[in-house]
Amino acid sequence: MNVLGELALWIALPVSLFGMVLGFAGGRARRGDLTLSAERSVYAVFFLSVIASLGVVDTFLNDRFEYWYVANYSSRNLETFFKVSGLWAGQRGSLLFWLLLLSCFAAIAVFSNRKKNREFMPYVAGTLLTITSFFLVVLLFADVNPFEKLTFTPADGSGLNPQLQNYWMTIHPPTLYLGFTAFTVPFAFAVAALLNGRLDARWIVITRKWTLLSWFFLSNGIIFGMRWAYEELGWGGYWFWDPVENASLLPWLTATAFLHSIQIQENRGMLKVWNMGLVILTFLLTIFATFLTRSGLIESVHTFAQELKIAYIFLGFMSSILMVGLVLVLYRLPRLKSDNQIESFLSRESAFVFNNLILLGATFAVLWGTLLPLISEGLTGQEIAVGPPFFNRVNLPIGLALLALMGIGPVIAWRRASRRNLVRNFLRPVSVGLATMLGLWIGGARHAMALVTFGLAAFVMTIIVVEFWKGTRARARIEGEGAFKAFLHLIARNRRRWGGYIVHVGVVVIFTAFAAAPWYQEFLQTLEPGEVMVAESPLGHTYELTYEGLSTNIRDLERNLDWQVTALVSVQRDGEPLGTFTTEKRMHMNAEQMSTEVGIQSFPLEDLYIILADADLGRILQGDAAAQSVTFTVMVKPLVGWIWAGGLILTLGSLIAMWPSAERLRTASSTGRAGMSGAEALPTGD
Amino acid sequence: MKQNGRFMVGLVGVAAVVTYLVWTGVSDTMMYYMTPTELIAKIDQDPTFRDVGVKVSGRLVVNSHESEPGSMVHRFVIHDTDDESVTFPVEYRQPLPDTFTDSPDMLVDVVMEGRFDEAGVFQANSVLTKCGSRYEASPEELRT
Repeated sequence: MNVLGELALWIALPVSLFGMVLGFAGGRARRGDLTLSAERSVYAVFFLSVIASLGVVDTFLNDRFEYWYVANYSSRNLETFFKVSGLWAGQRGSLLFWLLLLSCFAAIAVFSNRKKNREFMPYVAGTLLTITSFFLVVLLFADVNPFEKLTFTPADGSGLNPQLQNYWMTIHPPTLYLGFTAFTVPFAFAVAALLNGRLDARWIVITRKWTLLSWFFLSNGIIFGMRWAYEELGWGGYWFWDPVENASLLPWLTATAFLHSIQIQENRGMLKVWNMGLVILTFLLTIFATFLTRSGLIESVHTFAQELKIAYIFLGFMSSILMVGLVLVLYRLPRLKSDNQIESFLSRESAFVFNNLILLGATFAVLWGTLLPLISEGLTGQEIAVGPPFFNRVNLPIGLALLALMGIGPVIAWRRASRRNLVRNFLRPVSVGLATMLGLWIGGARHAMALVTFGLAAFVMTIIVVEFWKGTRARARIEGEGAFKAFLHLIARNRRRWGGYIVHVGVVVIFTAFAAAPWYQEFLQTLEPGEVMVAESPLGHTYELTYEGLSTNIRDLERNLDWQVTALVSVQRDGEPLGTFTTEKRMHMNAEQMSTEVGIQSFPLEDLYIILADADLGRILQGDAAAQSVTFTVMVKPLVGWIWAGGLILTLGSLIAMWPSAERLRTASSTGRAGMSGAEALPTGD
Repeated sequence: MKQNGRFMVGLVGVAAVVTYLVWTGVSDTMMYYMTPTELIAKIDQDPTFRDVGVKVSGRLVVNSHESEPGSMVHRFVIHDTDDESVTFPVEYRQPLPDTFTDSPDMLVDVVMEGRFDEAGVFQANSVLTKCGSRYEASPEELRT
């Protein structure tokens, strides 16, 4: 299987290159037979990537430590589950995994368009195969072949980092990769539209579900990563503005912008160049993210040299895409003219354009902060770095502006909003927002930015609730349905719009959770067994934590543990016992470093977070009964649970928006014309 | 036309605000990111630089880590990744990350933020160690 796997990679490259040439040639010569061959190459590359991936999984399952990759990311006693996930644990495997997902999406895109949209397909297949060829070249020629063998066979592998042996960490990278790779399909259709000259909204209509799918995976991937950081890293935080995190945020920001701006092209025939630019930029950022995640380029310039070859290949590929994209857009510029002009500053178009500009502003700021060490070193020879204070400071006002637009966008009129439209739609929500701020201020909340966030959140929520209420009421009256049935039918009738609003609700909930950050409390104390520490919550609760004592577990072969030191803590909340919690430090067999497990108790409004911060592990492990004192970090974090709840709401909303509806499939071919009449006919969701 | 003009003001406004935010954000929160060699050379050249907060990346000197149980004070020594003769002591008064291991078997790369005190000890406000998922052994290390 392993030999077959490597062979599959070597066969896939010529197949992919050949199919790429056939695709572009088929498009130019308008020859269906060539196009068909190109499409079959897409299936073949997918099949071969499956074989190669199975080959890698096979080397893991059979403990083939003569392979460099297996020796570095597995060991004999690793759980089978983590051996399978070894496919994406390290750089080499994850590049192959990227190829696997990409070719899978490519095959689905080709298959689902086998009977329609034929004028796009030769170029779509050609573009998709260009990208798969690139990853095959990287895998085979950039010193990252997962099938590379060592000159000897080690007795055992060096094991998987214990911090990666976690449920969230196992699903977080694949989810992000699904998001990154899914976006290749919209990019391929954009290139195809540029090449064949069909530059109306057609390509956008075909790919908008792909864009949403990609966005859905990116959002979930980011949230899973936050969850992993929160549960596993044991610092009590969930986002650190680390270059790798930023890399996943960048395409998310531009994809979000794209999801909004495509509605203007569909409805008003405007922003055609802008949308082309956004789709190319987003695709570039997904490649950039893959590159950054797995190269350590930013983290420290000093480790750059090891990865020089792959860095140059990636940079070369990204600049080629940028250049080809620019040339194609310039070449088609005359046909990318807007059908309409923005008529008023106070219009939905305008709100969408501002949403786009602000999202791009955030993208620029995050990118700048991430690349600053490289840029400053290049320009002045002196590296300059910025950290979380920079990102928080810059993105806070940007986030607030976005939040405000999230309320304004859905209810402001297209083309030109009248004074009546504004007063009627905004009077109530603005009052609710102001009342919320006032109420919280009276309740003792004093952080200005947080108050503004809560106020805006209330404003947006009111607007969305009123929209749902109005829609449901109208439907109930016209169709004579009960309220609940009318509500469900309302959503089902225009899934994209109402699904989009539900996504907005999720985002508002998440923003609200972020705004609670100034109230996070942290307590640090060293306790002897039997001693008590007190943690006060900003919501008025008092937690009393009694340190009950330590237990140790040395050389537990069954659980693959070298040692484990567990502290027992019993907790009372306002005098009511909550039970006993554990927090521990442990060292896995073959691990290079220990890991901390935290104790977390979640309530709807706050989390209690207990960390074993420090202990004299050396003496404890020797069984020294006198060395029982332990330092605990205890945190009380309001609203953290709302991040995960908001994530679920966002998932629900995007699933509703993505769900195929017979009605939309029928009308899909007739949309795309500019200047549709009647506001009711406009799909106005997210 | 009038609308377009107003609109352009809005666009330029957004760009200007973002630029302003990034500009002031960088100048208020930036830190020099240096190797120990660069930092020591810079201080020799300009002694006032001692008081400037910096970010330094270096490597932990094996067996240099000491801590007083219960007091939370960690002391260790850092050397330049490329030049082992350039070293300085560090003091850190918070729990160390799990990735920080003082063991002769492995190289621990440390990134710290902080500044030197009067006694020439680097007082770190934050200590990060190189992320484990990117630690890859060379074949020779696996031979054992």
